[in-house]
Amino acid sequence: MRLTVNGIESEISSPPLTPLLHVLRDELDVTSPKAGCQQGGCGTCTVLVDGEPRRSCLTPVAAVDGASITTLEGVGEPERLSPVQAAFYEKYAAQCGFCTPGMIMAATALIDRKGGPVERDEVLEALGGHYCRCTGYVKIVDAVMAASRGEVGDVQDLPVSEAGEPSVEVHGSPA
Amino acid sequence: MAPQVLIPQSADEAATLYGDGEGITVFAGGTILMPELASGRIRPERALLLHASGLSGIRSDGGVIRIGAMTPVAALVDGPVPWLLSIYATHVADYEVRQSATIGGNICAPPGRESQRGDLGAALIALGARVRSAGKGGERTEAVEDFLSGDRSGRLVLEIEIDVDAARKSGASGKRRKHAHSYAIANVAIAERDGELRVAVAGVGPTAVRCRSVEASRDPQDVLEDVDPVDDAVATAEYRRQILPLLVREALDRLETE
Amino acid sequence: MKAVGARLPRYDGVGHVTGRTRFVDDVRVGKTLWVKALRSPHHHAAITRLDVSKAAAMPGVHAIVTHEDIPRNVYGHLEALGVPGDEPLLAAEDVRYLGQPIAAVAAESEAAAQAAVEAIEVSYEEKPALFDIRKALDPDAPQIHHWGNVYPHYGSYNHRRVRKGNIDWAFEKADVIVEGVYRPQAIEQLPLETQVCTVVPEPDGRLTVYSCTQAMYFSMGVVAAHLQWPLNRLKFVGGTVGGGFGGKVDTATDTICCLLALKARRPVKWRWTREEEMLCSSTRAPWHIELADAVTSDGWILGRRTLTIHDAGAYARFSPYGLTKHAFHHSGAYTIPNLRFDGFVAFTNRVPTTAMRGFGVTSVSFAVETHLNRVAEAIGMDPWELRLKNANRVGDTTGNGVTLKDPSTVPVTLAAAERVGIELPAEYRAMTSDPRGGDLLPEHLAAQQNLSELNGGGH
Ligand SMILES: Cc1cc2nc3c(=O)[nH]c(=O)nc-3n(C[C@H](O)[C@H](O)[C@H](O)COP(=O)(O)OP(=O)(O)OC[C@H]3O[C@@H](n4cnc5c(N)ncnc54)[C@H](O)[C@@H]3O)c2cc1C
Ligand code: FES
Ligand code: FES
Repeated sequence: MRLTVNGIESEISSPPLTPLLHVLRDELDVTSPKAGCQQGGCGTCTVLVDGEPRRSCLTPVAAVDGASITTLEGVGEPERLSPVQAAFYEKYAAQCGFCTPGMIMAATALIDRKGGPVERDEVLEALGGHYCRCTGYVKIVDAVMAASRGEVGDVQDLPVSEAGEPSVEVHGSPA
Repeated sequence: MAPQVLIPQSADEAATLYGDGEGITVFAGGTILMPELASGRIRPERALLLHASGLSGIRSDGGVIRIGAMTPVAALVDGPVPWLLSIYATHVADYEVRQSATIGGNICAPPGRESQRGDLGAALIALGARVRSAGKGGERTEAVEDFLSGDRSGRLVLEIEIDVDAARKSGASGKRRKHAHSYAIANVAIAERDGELRVAVAGVGPTAVRCRSVEASRDPQDVLEDVDPVDDAVATAEYRRQILPLLVREALDRLETE
Repeated sequence: MKAVGARLPRYDGVGHVTGRTRFVDDVRVGKTLWVKALRSPHHHAAITRLDVSKAAAMPGVHAIVTHEDIPRNVYGHLEALGVPGDEPLLAAEDVRYLGQPIAAVAAESEAAAQAAVEAIEVSYEEKPALFDIRKALDPDAPQIHHWGNVYPHYGSYNHRRVRKGNIDWAFEKADVIVEGVYRPQAIEQLPLETQVCTVVPEPDGRLTVYSCTQAMYFSMGVVAAHLQWPLNRLKFVGGTVGGGFGGKVDTATDTICCLLALKARRPVKWRWTREEEMLCSSTRAPWHIELADAVTSDGWILGRRTLTIHDAGAYARFSPYGLTKHAFHHSGAYTIPNLRFDGFVAFTNRVPTTAMRGFGVTSVSFAVETHLNRVAEAIGMDPWELRLKNANRVGDTTGNGVTLKDPSTVPVTLAAAERVGIELPAEYRAMTSDPRGGDLLPEHLAAQQNLSELNGGGH
């Protein structure tokens, strides 16, 4: 079996019924898709299979033999965020970040399908099976809508933070 | 031990490899089987993967709509199928799961441990759908309700047939929890053709059931003669008993007014 | 103050949106073994036989640990703070909740580890199980713990007590007595990342622990205690938690992974399935709360009697501490001069319960606020006015003897009323947190100083 993952083609040696999720994570070390539930219920394993969002935990690798897979690693670079990534960053749509890979893949696919601004109910329909336990959904839905309208761009205006801790002095803080 | 994996390239090859189904686990979309596999609850000896067997697609053939077993539930949402089937398809799982989940898997799904399954069953029964399957004794075609109430093991579903004029009027009323992944608490589907009613319920027991008492009397209360609701994680049997007659009444009312 | 109110970038934000953030499950170490656990299939049983020899001989199996492999098996999460330990890391004689770990396997793959778990020979003798905390105190209830069904260490008492003022006076003087029972239920914290840990044995004899804990130094202490090691042989790497909400305060996986890594001399990784997380991980505690308020018909709460039973599940873990917080908050944001609080930590055969967002406090706040609405209804008073009248004021003393310097009940209540469009009478709108005076200093509140007493030590 062969897969092209984020543009790189690989021969796959995992057994044919292995979930695509584990092939990506354990055979190819592509770790952005997460094993949140391994039963289709949470959405954090979602990747694009030939451009369409699929739950990688529900997909036997043999069923996508030859396909082209895109994961969050393949969407943008830290220096060159895609509009959806930039919107999630700028609008604080990721807290712990564990649901973020699936959210961004589903949102990216939705915006591609629609090819223009997406409305709130369309986001709810497309992302309705994705769970986030931290952020609540308001910021996530706002981020997807903003990204679809190109309303991102003041990322540069945010103060730059150092690696590690944020460059914030809090005088008199007990911590 | 790793299972032997068979990937037929045509419907005929699928039927041949399937044989009488002994020791074979059929993988369609995998949305039910993959979690079972991951949790170790099933350990297939031989797996038959249907994704390449050409069993997907909806086509119109004279007066009959033919839906391949591997047709994704997503394709029923806005595909050329009766409204009654579409409406219940939109309620299955979420956008992404529906792309993988198949109609064949939906009617072959064994009862779940925490909820009932096969939510499309009510619509299919009401529409008088027929199941074409292969297996021991060769191919056969039978009414969905007979397929569901019979022994489904040993059958490989190839296709679902629905008459184009299956319903002149139809009515639906269902109850589910308000989140994307809720299985039906109860789905009621009713279709009328040539003055004859077909009434069915899904989600209240191991398989969908045709409600002949209601068909005869048109009395919603009689639905409790036809089905015996179960307790599960989505609802209690008592709750189902309470709402079922109301749902039937609602579906009948909608039928009248459409 | 550069931070408060400012829009700052998340320092981990770019990592999150590009899939580069490394969670524990993403740590890659060569030759890692997978861990699976044998868990109790019963709510309550005695283990009558445990034999791992067949499982240990299976292909791909590198190590199995049971209670016999643990330098110190029984340790309590709060032992360092004086709460005696009660929970075995791996069950030895009895299992007290469904899912309690009994043995753990490290093997080449998840499947091999699971197969070995299933090959462990174990038999049980089932015992009657207890699930309802209200029944835990009954004389004929199944006995769960060597302590009985109540955690007994609050100084010289077997429960947490608060005594303030003269409760009998309050109930004699009351025009109305309003009673209520409140039973908030268990909730699974359900972080999207399940419990997960990777442990790597280092050449210098130390262990590196990649932990998803919410409480790093705390987990280090727990692991060190079970291993009977000095802390400097443990290197913990954490800080990236895929959601915790209190559920990752308990040290669920780290210690067992350490034991297996040592025994197998290989890195090991344990990632719980969602099912394990739902069935076996600790939850927010269920509570049984009985409140009785002694109230005057013009809306003064003279006294409150409280009986609380906190469901610890099968072991104490942090429950004694949760109950103490609960006790401190049982009069809510209000000043009640006469209090009598008795709170028990009771054991049942549920999973051990633990922190979740407002440990011990949320449950009692739910009870108190619901109860105040009932009080208001009983005396025919506006619930906002009832709250403002009894609100904490500067100089008031709480049940645990704290004199309040800057309570916020009044401004917060007024702001909330405004936001939801409640029109309050002018005298209420004009209220502040200033010390009580005039008709807001009735006789019974003037005499409240220095009357509180918090009984019992411990946590
Ligand atoms: C998050 C989530 C939510 C869900 N919500 C719903 C819901 O709301 N309603 C609902 O009804 N279902 C729901 N499901 C279940 C499932 O997705 C659907 O029932 C789906 O239609 C099953 O199809 P599948 O192709 O994925 O089945 P598979 O997992 O491939 O197979 C299911 C069963 O059918 C057998 N089978 C499949 N195809 C055939 C065939 N052609 N011939 C013989 N046997 C066959 C398999 O051997 C297996 O026993 C949900 C699933 C998930 C993961
Ligand atoms: S891991 Fe695939 S949906 Fe949760
Ligand atoms: S950010 Fe933590 S689950 Fe969504």
